[in-house]
Amino acid sequence: MIRPIALPLALLALAGVLATVISLGVGSVAIDPMDVLSVFLGEGTDLQRTLVLELRLPRTLSGFATGGLLAVAGALMQVLLRNPLADPYVLGLSGGAAVGALLAMLAGLGGVVVSGSAFAGAMLATLMVFGLAHGTGSWTPSRLLLTGVVVAAGWGAVITLMLAISPARELPGMLYWLMGDVSYARTPWPGLGLLLVVCFIVVPLGRSLNVLARGPMQAAALGISVRPLEWMIYVLASLLTATAVTMAGSIGFVGLVIPHMLRMVLGNDQRLILPACALAGGTLLVLADTLARVVIAPEQLPVGVITALLGVPTFLYLLYRSR
Amino acid sequence: MASLKRPAMQTLKTRELVIDIPGRASGYPLNLAIESGQIWGVLGPNGAGKTTLLHSLAGLRPPRSGSLCLNDKPANELKRRVLSQQLGLVFQDRQDGFPATVLETALIGRHPWLSPWQMEGADDLAMAERALEALDVLHLKDRLVSTLSGGERQRVAIATLMTQSPHTWLLDEPTNHLDLHHQVAVMKLLTGRAKAGNAIFMCLHDLNLAARWCDHILLMYPNGEACWGLAERMLVPSALERLYNQELQTVEVDGTPFFVPKRG
Amino acid sequence: MVKLKGLIAILGWMLIVAPASASRVCATDDLGEKVCLDRPATRIAALSPGATELAWAAGAGDQVVAVVAYSDYPPAAREVTSVGSHTRMDMERLLQLRPDLVIGWVTGNPSEQLATLKKVGIPVFSIEPRSFEAVSHTIERLSVLAGTETEGFAEAEHFRQGIAGLRTQFENADPVSVFYQVWDEPLMTVNGEHLIGEMIQLCGGANVFGHLDRLVPRISAEAVVAADPEAILAGGMGEENRHWLARWQNFPSLTATARDNLFFIPPSLVQRPTPRMLVGTRLFCDKLEVARDRRSDGVHL
Repeated sequence: MIRPIALPLALLALAGVLATVISLGVGSVAIDPMDVLSVFLGEGTDLQRTLVLELRLPRTLSGFATGGLLAVAGALMQVLLRNPLADPYVLGLSGGAAVGALLAMLAGLGGVVVSGSAFAGAMLATLMVFGLAHGTGSWTPSRLLLTGVVVAAGWGAVITLMLAISPARELPGMLYWLMGDVSYARTPWPGLGLLLVVCFIVVPLGRSLNVLARGPMQAAALGISVRPLEWMIYVLASLLTATAVTMAGSIGFVGLVIPHMLRMVLGNDQRLILPACALAGGTLLVLADTLARVVIAPEQLPVGVITALLGVPTFLYLLYRSR
Repeated sequence: MASLKRPAMQTLKTRELVIDIPGRASGYPLNLAIESGQIWGVLGPNGAGKTTLLHSLAGLRPPRSGSLCLNDKPANELKRRVLSQQLGLVFQDRQDGFPATVLETALIGRHPWLSPWQMEGADDLAMAERALEALDVLHLKDRLVSTLSGGERQRVAIATLMTQSPHTWLLDEPTNHLDLHHQVAVMKLLTGRAKAGNAIFMCLHDLNLAARWCDHILLMYPNGEACWGLAERMLVPSALERLYNQELQTVEVDGTPFFVPKRG
Repeated sequence: MVKLKGLIAILGWMLIVAPASASRVCATDDLGEKVCLDRPATRIAALSPGATELAWAAGAGDQVVAVVAYSDYPPAAREVTSVGSHTRMDMERLLQLRPDLVIGWVTGNPSEQLATLKKVGIPVFSIEPRSFEAVSHTIERLSVLAGTETEGFAEAEHFRQGIAGLRTQFENADPVSVFYQVWDEPLMTVNGEHLIGEMIQLCGGANVFGHLDRLVPRISAEAVVAADPEAILAGGMGEENRHWLARWQNFPSLTATARDNLFFIPPSLVQRPTPRMLVGTRLFCDKLEVARDRRSDGVHL
């Protein structure tokens, strides 16, 4: 809370810019860095312009938005449930989104309908978990977490069922959607816009979240209207997850690991952690996607594989080193 | 320097307040008036509802009936933030889900006083450090709370309340886990706050700490009965023996009665 | 005079050649979208192994500049640059090859990636042949877009005739109950609406699972034993891997096993909707004929 906030954020922003530059400069087609620059100055050949402006730029921005949204959603969920294991995937939001998307695919629909259906699925999952966790009694974090985990297991079963009864020819598309891929993103702008808005919302909200992290009673004693704040966090986190999943399918891991890594290094001031999550999550996914595109080109890897391969050792190292 | 400023006079009143204890058929309505300069001690056996009463007074738990007034204004009409500028509470048990340092923990006491966009400033930091100093934990300020002993954590919690600097201090077993020296230090600190114009209202297990430091006593019986008043009128052996269902022997030190359980 | 003659010659050449080289070609794809090219395609990207074969069948093999993984037929296709798998294409490499026509696969390629191609101005012709006639029709349409109608229509007609010939030949053949095994673990077959189902029917076979709802149903070994088919036909992983049939040796009571009617069909001949299906179908029909022959053998035993 008393640490300088500007310096870490500036460093992370710099890392984000670097990752973006790398992602724009690297691809299975070699483009000279000067040529990439000239494309942005309105020059370069048609092919270079198409590759950089139509392929790499939207993909990079989508990756950044997706990673940022997932990391912020994870951080919010962890504060809400005061449980370090919480993330949108654990709570079944992505399961709901996946069922929505697969249903649309099963119906033979594609494109925008799949995205819309995924979004609806995520929001339905949110309402279900919140409604059921509320139940007839109290609404406690452990109850919410348990409800989420059980509902997520239910979604998992539905997904398996759908995969089992789907026509074989629909399977590849479904599996690839479940693995997640930034290249499926249609447009980065709604995601990026939401990420920006959220960063502005969470800074003033941050101190309240810090207090909420001490438990609801303590938070209430320090002047916080706990229930409205909790609802707000949950709806916000759901919205972020739904948007991210809608953009790029289900990419796990980012929402769980990025917030923890940052907490180990930067402490637990949400005013710093949440914007830092947006930057670091975005950076990680942009770098991972760059690798996924070029490592064994022309074959393309699912980006979730790379996020896990990059993130797991880093996370374990930090955990081992931490107090 | 809000914490050193002499607080304005303030009264926390309960009107026919019956706390909500699950499974208890009825309760004796409380009509308390907790005023500036007073030190209240709440005594009672386990399960008598001491903690529930504190939570109800802090507005965290709705009472079964009756109402709570701050300066004759119904407390439930006040915003949570305004209420928490007037009333602060040290909980008996605390959860620390995420790692936080001692200084960070004390600083969250400033939350009710800061606007959403405001960051903690130098004077907030100074207040937190002064509070940690007063509770003899300043040297631990960069330690993680999770690495502290029970007594150290207790003092950090009281320092957080001091940083919050409400008018009325509600404390649930503030001497829990503390060694004798720190028990006395805390009771002296609270007495000092009362002299400066704060109102102190705390649950205590130690009859003799209450006898030594409190000027008002509330006795809570397990069946819901309660009686309250000046300490010297409440601390009589017969009442206390009934309260704890334990025979007591009385000795007098410095003109105050002290109570020890009878042998056998 | 010389100049005038030259001018007339040039004018005459323009009259003959210009309309041809500037001729606009159009075809409607399997999504119902009309795809028009200002001139026949010269740089074709085929985004599925089947599309590659069809492009070659249409006589446009020399124009194919990009394929995807497993495009192994005809052998010349292996020399063409690959742009990754059909589920996840390397878009940069694809664009670098500057295709002027992309043959997409409706249910195989990610629709998002096809949409991106359309967005950057590359015509995408999406195909999904699901019947014998669709194979011929697709070859014809591709040859129109590639300007190779002569070869394409001939090949399409050859395939059509070949299938029609088989149909006539086996129209009144004795039905043979057939189980066709698409996959081993889990055990999968096809229903009557599948192209392979159509193939079974055409050869006078009766698919024991033809009535199932799903195109590629997953079934249990028990269901196969209960249905007791007269012949079991199976593909396998790779062209010469017959071990999928071995499991049926454990059921000597099965008619197919007792009469040794366990037949291997190279999967690439029947599972890709291409002209090679004619070879596959012929093989299929031959095997069923063998099964019919063995009936009389059985009587002698």
